[in-house]
Amino acid sequence: MEVNTAVFAVSCAGAPSTGARALQKDRQLNQFLAEIERRALRIAEIGVRDRDDALDLVQDAMIKLVRNYSDRAKEEWTPLFYRILQNGVRDWHRRQAVRNRVMVWFGRKPSEDDDYDVVASAPDPAGRAPDEELQNSEAMQSLEAAVRQLPARQREAFMLRTFEGLNVAGTAVAMGCSEGSVKTHYSRAVHALRERLEEHGP
Amino acid sequence: MNEQHDAFEKQLKETFDESVDALDGATLSKLNRSRHQALAELQRPRRQWSRWMPATGAVAAILVAVVIVQSPSAINDVAGITTVTDMEILLGEDSIEMLEDLEFYSWIDAAEAEGDVG
Repeated sequence: MEVNTAVFAVSCAGAPSTGARALQKDRQLNQFLAEIERRALRIAEIGVRDRDDALDLVQDAMIKLVRNYSDRAKEEWTPLFYRILQNGVRDWHRRQAVRNRVMVWFGRKPSEDDDYDVVASAPDPAGRAPDEELQNSEAMQSLEAAVRQLPARQREAFMLRTFEGLNVAGTAVAMGCSEGSVKTHYSRAVHALRERLEEHGP
Repeated sequence: MNEQHDAFEKQLKETFDESVDALDGATLSKLNRSRHQALAELQRPRRQWSRWMPATGAVAAILVAVVIVQSPSAINDVAGITTVTDMEILLGEDSIEMLEDLEFYSWIDAAEAEGDVG
């Protein structure tokens, strides 16, 4: 019913009216965010090692994209969204570093990487056989561990290119660097991952 | 080499995609809520003042520049720097006499302030 109303509004006016344009924009953004949100969450989660924090970062990125870049062409949304998200992940790490320094100052043990419970944050079975789920979960744990060992820029380049499927130009926009840098970071990341994962077995 | 390279990346991508597909219902629900909260931003009117901020900043910068150019002495006074004109008055011949009668001039100043003179 809503679709018919929008089509009617467009055809009557010749050019899309303001209301119809807003409706169309709303639909396009909804579709874009729905397509990207789950991969974005997993990428952020690998970056910060905490699902709740990753959810917050993804929500912030969504809001900032809608607020600041909804008027941009659809093709620009993906790199812009990931640029916002990657900035959020970097800020998160800066805040963590400051928090850890403060905790050390007050004599408390800072949170360590080993505290992250990979099993506890592993995804639900989603209807698969337990042995298959276990195998996939173990493979993902190995992959996540290997990706986390990469330097930050290599990790970003690898996740944006491989996990999100951005091309070199889009990855360069998302990372705020040149295409040449993306190629270098990505190549080094894949090389390092191959060595680590083949050494320990995928 | 390239085929081997591609096969390796494809395998990693598949592993990642499986972890995405296996996200639990509670997480998907949170993502859904986040998306709708973000889309609600479209309905919110943009703050008008933010649109004028660059122009306001430019006007303020121009005003400050004009003030500095028009009255450099004001800046010197604020900084506590004695201007050349003040130095000339102090070092003039008449000023030597004034310095000799400094107590007298101080008394006149005080008396004027109290309204006894004139």
